[in-house]
Amino acid sequence: MLFLQTLVNGLALGGLYALAAVGFSLVFGVLGIVNLTHGIFLVAGSYGALLLWEHLGIDPILSIPPVAIVLFGVGYVYQRTIIHWAVSRASLVASLVVTFGVAMIIRNLLQLWFGPDIRTITPSYSFSSVTFFDLRIDLVRLIALGMSLVVLLLLTALLRHTHFGRSIRATAQQPLAASLCGLDVERLYAKTFGLGAALAGASGAIIGIVQPFSPATEAGWTLNAFIVVVLGGIGSPAGALLGGVLLGLINTLTAQYIAPSMTNAAMFLVLVAMLLFRPHGLLGNAMGESR
Amino acid sequence: MSDMSNLETDGVYIATDGLSYDYNGVTAVSKVGITVAKGQIVALIGANGAGKSTTVKMIAGALKPRTGRVLFGGRDITGMPAHKVVQQGIALVPESRLVFRHLTVLENLQIAGHLPRSRDRMKDSYDHVFQLFPRLYERRAQHAGSLSGGEQQMLAIARGLMTLPDVLILDEPSLGLSPLFVGEIFKMIRKLNQEGMTILLVEQNVHHTLAIADRAYVLEKGRVVRSDTGRAMLADDAVKKAYLGMD
Ligand SMILES: Nc1ncnc2c1ncn2[C@@H]1O[C@H](COP(=O)(O)OP(=O)(O)O)[C@@H](O)[C@H]1O
Ligand SMILES: [Mg+2]
Repeated sequence: MLFLQTLVNGLALGGLYALAAVGFSLVFGVLGIVNLTHGIFLVAGSYGALLLWEHLGIDPILSIPPVAIVLFGVGYVYQRTIIHWAVSRASLVASLVVTFGVAMIIRNLLQLWFGPDIRTITPSYSFSSVTFFDLRIDLVRLIALGMSLVVLLLLTALLRHTHFGRSIRATAQQPLAASLCGLDVERLYAKTFGLGAALAGASGAIIGIVQPFSPATEAGWTLNAFIVVVLGGIGSPAGALLGGVLLGLINTLTAQYIAPSMTNAAMFLVLVAMLLFRPHGLLGNAMGESR
Repeated sequence: MSDMSNLETDGVYIATDGLSYDYNGVTAVSKVGITVAKGQIVALIGANGAGKSTTVKMIAGALKPRTGRVLFGGRDITGMPAHKVVQQGIALVPESRLVFRHLTVLENLQIAGHLPRSRDRMKDSYDHVFQLFPRLYERRAQHAGSLSGGEQQMLAIARGLMTLPDVLILDEPSLGLSPLFVGEIFKMIRKLNQEGMTILLVEQNVHHTLAIADRAYVLEKGRVVRSDTGRAMLADDAVKKAYLGMD
């Protein structure tokens, strides 16, 4: 029973990890940029949800759309300005330095505005839990898992069945041919980056009801996203889901059966093994081989 | 600059004047002037590295010329980005095809057909390209990456046609194809032209090309060294020697 309970906890956590990583994965797959500001977008989403909850009483789940829209705009402008300048004047590698620097600056600004304290969002259902048979799961975790799956499904449909989604995939694979087909590649890059930020913000709003957060937690989320991509594969919701669930399971199983302090070690062990044996993740690069 | 006076004349679709391009300071194309008249097949031939692809990329907006102008239907489109040039009616089918490998055949076509100028006639465009290339219809649900080289070339051309261009630029469509496919591609080019399509054809398959070209330009080290009718060039001993390996 303990094993099943651990599995359930791992799965729930994994769904959250998947959503938290999918925007990072998309940006990596399409633009080739390792966005170290990703965790900032996520934590900003948590603070956005917190503000809406504290000042307007809006439930964090309902705050997902406004938070996502604002972060879409932020991501769009960020790519068109800072990221674009860095990549066009220097190289893709420069974006690593730039996004890292921006992350540090914004983390410090968040600490100034909100203080370094750990915060949580606690709507009325925060302390309820659901039981079937002997398995118990917190209601917030169940909601978070459900919302994550819904958002990932919506994203899958967007990528597969809309012109925007096809354009993103085409641009990722073959930017020159995409522009010759009439796609404004620069605009699509910015929109993809915006989408990545929006997804991070959405996951941040959801994470706010499940886990405590502070400005300093951003780095951990960026790292998690990186690991999820290495595990599952680049550029697809399915890869993110697989990587997220694996990471969730590794974390909970290690904490339960080895030691809570060993989760990071276990994570890195798997990471190194993956990089050695399947460097493109279990599902490979969904966006193609142009990078 | 010499013959800019007659560039704006009726029937001239594409005219370039003094086009030059450098890659990192090394000249690849120098003062190239070519004209393509409506309804023609115009060929751009020359050895590997002569600057053919660079020239057509400048025309299609994929590269910004260092100097010179590109006129299309009398309008100056120099420096216009590629996604806007295709909307004006020039489609470049790029060298080595560059199909979207992880997208299906249908998705490849769908993307190109979504342009404002072609969107409303997408269904007719599908009919047209599938009639030209029945094989693509059979493989419409497959990923483009799973097609053979010849089929990918067909897809690349079909994708260009989905934008409903006024001028179709083909950059080495026969490269790397089996002789059977080469014949098919040239037959298709001719057929398209007979349907009224204006074509700028970049090729190294000189014999086939000159046989169907109304006009041809020979590029050497980034410069136009000759231009004449296809037939005249085919009869020319110097061209034969240089490009056809005949004596
Ligand atoms: N991306 C590039 N970077 C640097 N040099 C290039 C690049 N593309 C082409 N060149 C150079 O420019 C010249 C013309 O190339 P290109 O236009 O591709 O010729 P062609 O299509 O006639 O074979 C060649 O010398 C080639 O080496
Ligand atoms: Mg070439």
